[in-house]
Parts: sequence; C-alpha cells; structure tokens
Amino acid sequence: MSYFFQLVVSGMVVGSIYALSALGFVLIYKSSRVLNIAHGQIIAAGAFITYALTVMVGIPLYIAFLLSMIITFFLAMAVERIFLRKLIGEPIISVIMVTIGLMSILDGLIYLTPFGTLNLSFPPFFPTTPISLGGVSISWTQLVGVLVTAVFIGGLSWFFKKSTLGISMRAVSDDQLAAMSVGISVPKVFGLAWALAGMSAAAAGGIIGNITGLNFDTLHAFGILVFPVVILGGLDSIIGAVVAGIIMGLIQQFAAGYLDGNWGLNGTADVLPYIVLLILLLFKPHGLFGTHEIERV
Amino acid sequence: MRNRRVIIATIVGAVFACVAMTGSAFAGNTYKLAISLAITGPTSDAGNPYSKGVGDYVKYVNDNKILGDDKVDCMIRDDAYKTDVTKRNFEEFLDEGIVLYMNYSTGSTLALKKDFDEEKIAVLPASYHAGNLLDSNYILLPIPSYSSQVIGLAEYVANNHKDGKAKVAMFIHPSAFGRGPVEDLEKAIAAGLNIEIVEVVEHGKDLDNTAMIKRLQSKGVQYVVCHTVQSPVATFIKDAKRLGVSASNFGEAGKMTFLGAHYTGGNDLIALAGDAAENFFWTTGFMLTSVPGEGTDFQLKLAKTYGRDDKLANSHNYTSGIMVAQVAVETIRRALANGKAVTKASLYEELLAMNGDNSYDPKTTTGPVTFSKTDHEGVDKLQLYRASGGVFKGEGAAFVPEYVSKIK
Repeated sequence: MSYFFQLVVSGMVVGSIYALSALGFVLIYKSSRVLNIAHGQIIAAGAFITYALTVMVGIPLYIAFLLSMIITFFLAMAVERIFLRKLIGEPIISVIMVTIGLMSILDGLIYLTPFGTLNLSFPPFFPTTPISLGGVSISWTQLVGVLVTAVFIGGLSWFFKKSTLGISMRAVSDDQLAAMSVGISVPKVFGLAWALAGMSAAAAGGIIGNITGLNFDTLHAFGILVFPVVILGGLDSIIGAVVAGIIMGLIQQFAAGYLDGNWGLNGTADVLPYIVLLILLLFKPHGLFGTHEIERV
Repeated sequence: MRNRRVIIATIVGAVFACVAMTGSAFAGNTYKLAISLAITGPTSDAGNPYSKGVGDYVKYVNDNKILGDDKVDCMIRDDAYKTDVTKRNFEEFLDEGIVLYMNYSTGSTLALKKDFDEEKIAVLPASYHAGNLLDSNYILLPIPSYSSQVIGLAEYVANNHKDGKAKVAMFIHPSAFGRGPVEDLEKAIAAGLNIEIVEVVEHGKDLDNTAMIKRLQSKGVQYVVCHTVQSPVATFIKDAKRLGVSASNFGEAGKMTFLGAHYTGGNDLIALAGDAAENFFWTTGFMLTSVPGEGTDFQLKLAKTYGRDDKLANSHNYTSGIMVAQVAVETIRRALANGKAVTKASLYEELLAMNGDNSYDPKTTTGPVTFSKTDHEGVDKLQLYRASGGVFKGEGAAFVPEYVSKIK
C-alpha cells in the first residue's frame, strides 16, 4: 500500500512543479490571448540567474532565488515592452510568431553566456535526508517546490479576485475595448502579465534546476513539456493549471509504477498523459476549466 | 622604346612570379580538415568543449611546426545538432577541398553515411554508435563503440557480482543512439555472458523517478547500466540516493549499483548530481586528467597555453576533441613521411594501415589507436572509472571486453 501512496505523493509533487511551470503560460494567455512559446527559455534564464547570484556573487541561495524572481519580473516586462508592445491589436498569430522569434533570440543570448553549454548544480542548501512517513518519501526540494507553487497559486488567486490591478487584468482578458473605455491601460496590463509570468518562470527554474541540475537543454524543455498541462487545464485558468498539473503528474507516476516494464510496455509514462489529454479534449474542448466563449452574431 | 618597356615589364613580372612561387614553397602546404558539431543547441555541453579540443590541438600543431612548414587548416562549424545543417556544412567543406572530416552526432553520422562513401572520405565521428559502421567503409570510430562499452560494463558486473546471475536494468536514451547497444548486449548474453537483463527503460524528462526505482527494486535489479547523456542519469541517481537504494560499494546487496557508458559520466555528471554521483562506475576510452599521465599532462599544458579554464581543461569532451585532431594530424604526418600526396585517398589508406607496429598511441586514450580494413574501432581498450570524493578515479587496469569479439 505504501507503494501506492508513494506514487500518489510523487505524482502530486511532480504535478505541482508542472503547475508552477505552466503558470507563466496561463498568466500571459489570460490577459492577452497570446501563447508565449519562449516560456522555457525564461524558466532556464531564471535558474541561471539564481545560480549566478549565489555562486558568482556569493548571495545565499534563498535570497538569490527571491532576487532572480524580481530580476525576471523586470526582464519579462522589458521583453514585452521591447518586442510585443507594438503588436497590440495585431493578429494573434503574428504575436505568437514573435514569441517563436523571441525563443531563438533568448536561446542565442543564453548560448553567448557560459550557462548555455555547461552542466552545473546549485550549492547544497536543503537537508539531503528526505522526509519519510510510513514508507513514503519526499525530498526537501520537492517539498519546497510544492510550497512555492501553493504560495504562487494562493497569491495569484487573491490578486485576480481582490486587487484592483488583478481585476483590471481580468477585464482586459474579457474585452480589451471595454476595458480601455473604462480607463484601464491595456499596455500596462500586458506588461504586468508578462512580468508575473517571468517571476513564476524563475521560481519554476529554481525548483527544476535543484531537481535535475542546471543544463540548458533540460531546463528549457520544460516550457514545452508542460504544454499539455496548460491545454488540459484550460489555457486561461490558474486553478486549471494546478488540477491539470496534478492529473498529469499522477498519470505519469501510475503509468511508470504499474504499466511500464510490465506486459512488454515501456514509455507509457511519457505517452499516457497525451492520450488522456486527447480523450478529455474530445469532451471538454476548452480544457477542464477554460473559458467557453460564445460569440453571438 | 615601346619594345624596351614590354621587355622590362616581362622581366619584372617574371621576377615577381618567381618570388611568389619561392615564397609559397617556403610557406609549405596547407591541408584542410573540418568538423561540424553542436557548439550550441542540444548536447552542446559535450560539443562545445569537443570543438575547443580540436581547435586547440590544430593551433598547437601549427604553432609548434609539428608538420614542418606545412600547416593544417581545420574548419570548425556549429550545426546546433541539426542534421540538415551538418549536411550543408559537409557539402561546403567538400567544396573547400577537405582531406579528412570529423563528424559529431549519431543522427547526422547515420544520415550522411552514404555521402561519406560516395565522397570516399575518412570520417572520425564523436558518435561511437556501432551502427555507424554497418554498410560503411569510411567511418572510423575513435574509441570502442557504445556496444563495446556496454558489454564491457556488463562483463565487469558478471565478473564481480558475488551471488549467482546478476540482475541488470538498462537505462537508455530513447533514440538510435540509446537503443543501439541493447541488441548487442543481448547477443553477448546469448553467447554466454552471465547476466540477466530484467528491464530496458527508455527515459523521458522525468522530475521524479520514484516509481521506476521502486519497480526495478521490486524486480530485484541490482545493477543499472546507463547509456544516455548526463542530465537524466543525474536525476535518476539523485532520486536513488534520496530513496536510500544507491549502493555504497560495488554490488552491495539489496541496493543498486549504477554504471554508464561514455556520455553518461565525467565531471559533468558530478556537476549535475553532486554527491549522488559517488560510486558511479563509468567507462570510456579516454584518459582523465584526474589520473596523471603523459597524455593528461599534455592536455593540461595545451589548455593552459590557449587560455582555457579549469573546467574545460579537465573535461573528457575536450580530451575527445584533442584525440580526433591528434589522429587526423598523425595520419597527415604519416602520408607525408611515406612520400604520398595528402589526399582523401592517401589519408584513408594511412588510417587503415594504422595497426600492428604502425598503431598510434596519442597518450590521451586508454590504449593505442588501431584501424584496419576489418577493424574500424580505433582504441580497443576501455578503462573503468569510479566516482570517489567528487572525481572519477581509475578502477583497475584498462581492458578489452571479451564478448565483443564473440558476437562479431
């Protein structure tokens, strides 16, 4: 039975980290209806900034982690200001193409630094002994990953429901023209959405980097890897990202635990989440919690 | 008067031509080599230092006049791990008149196999995939193939496991590169190698390997032979350490001993996995700078001469780059010493003659480089290394896997 519970816990932990990685997609899509294809590169950049601050500058890891979130907050805001601001009102496909270009630019910039081709790891920070209870084990990094995700989800949920800025963002998401007519600055909302996405990406980068080590290929791959989570959750739903992340994490762990290696099956942990995604989308084409828009002509 | 001017102009022209010709004779010849590899993009953590190894050794050859007045011009181009770019680079290199080519990835080596044969040009790839050699005359692997490496590791397990038949899992990359050695290891088992493959795991980008580890443990797996790149291995062994299943010494009962082929190990694995890499057993055909010797001293000196940092100087990928350049330059030297013009054909001939008394010991490898018409794997010996105290140290003497010849 402890095997089953271990899979549940591992699945939920992995799912939480997926949700954290997916948040950036959701935040940008929620406000501007744009899919940021360069999200993985921002995740990697966040991880490398944390590393640089802690190893090269000598700042303690937890402060470096917070500082990297602040830095990526402004970096992502600058990216939006430089590359995307002028595209407001242009067809969405044009904006998405720009984010593909942005991905190549960020790739190139990271390869210009030593981080592009080095393998590194954060200095040991958390206790190496895992937390074990009743035969179920979880590492400190994983636990912190879950807590950071919870803080982000809680904070953003409050932000969107209670704060004026958050409500402005929701208004822009619903109808840009109507939002502008009541004095909301759409460009500022877009900038803020990118900035928050940058911040969550840095948090995800720090957690993933702590688990896998710092390798650019591995880190930026998570940008695309969490794409099914975003689609399943419903693109513009924060809660959707969390629920979908956990569903994906659980499917992966159960597939790895019960299917792979049995009856000649292998690699089901990688394939099954996509199969489930396809089936669910047949019944819920807007994802589990996505907004179902009805256009009346 | 007009005739006089023409005569003077002709004489001046002739003198200039003579001076130019004499000058070029003094300057010697330039032989063109080339390599296309992933300096950026996927696997550039290996390709980048590899490119610097090739570049630095060629600079050393020219700066120190290893070929006398002759020079080597090695074109090094980034293909970002994209086969179409590799092909374009290769075609451009051919137009430039290269006499020997060094390739990189498994995918591009397999894709360009026929082109190499058509062009009749010897190729030294950084991919040691045994499949590169099938239906190919011109591809020559610098060190033992991945299959030989995996068989070597399995032999070590079989010879050192204490209690009956060892239960082994393979942890491989989901590609031709990863899958290649599995079939050869199965052949070795059929030929009598005393291990049992319990499961072959093709990994994804996993954040938590708990389910897999518990599953393998429930099947009694005691050894995991990895053949992939460092990053997934690092996550795997970190999880194994967290779950308390990593063996603290080889073959510890009830625990898992991790072993890996060339691209799974080295300083990069330690950089990614930290102390979880302790007791990881790794094999390659290269000498490591943590084991002092003539070749490693040369490598460190070369890195210092060209201003490389410690990380690069001690990278086995830097060693690999140096080694292929060493083989290429030595082949040119031998062609010249034998009075041959340096061409694609003469270099291929010299490479195939590199055996017996003519074998070449670059000192950066665990044994001499030997090629022949029937042997396209250069170095035959493997060295086993074990991670201890944050560095890989030699474990026993270099060896030739016994079952490699049995399955050929």
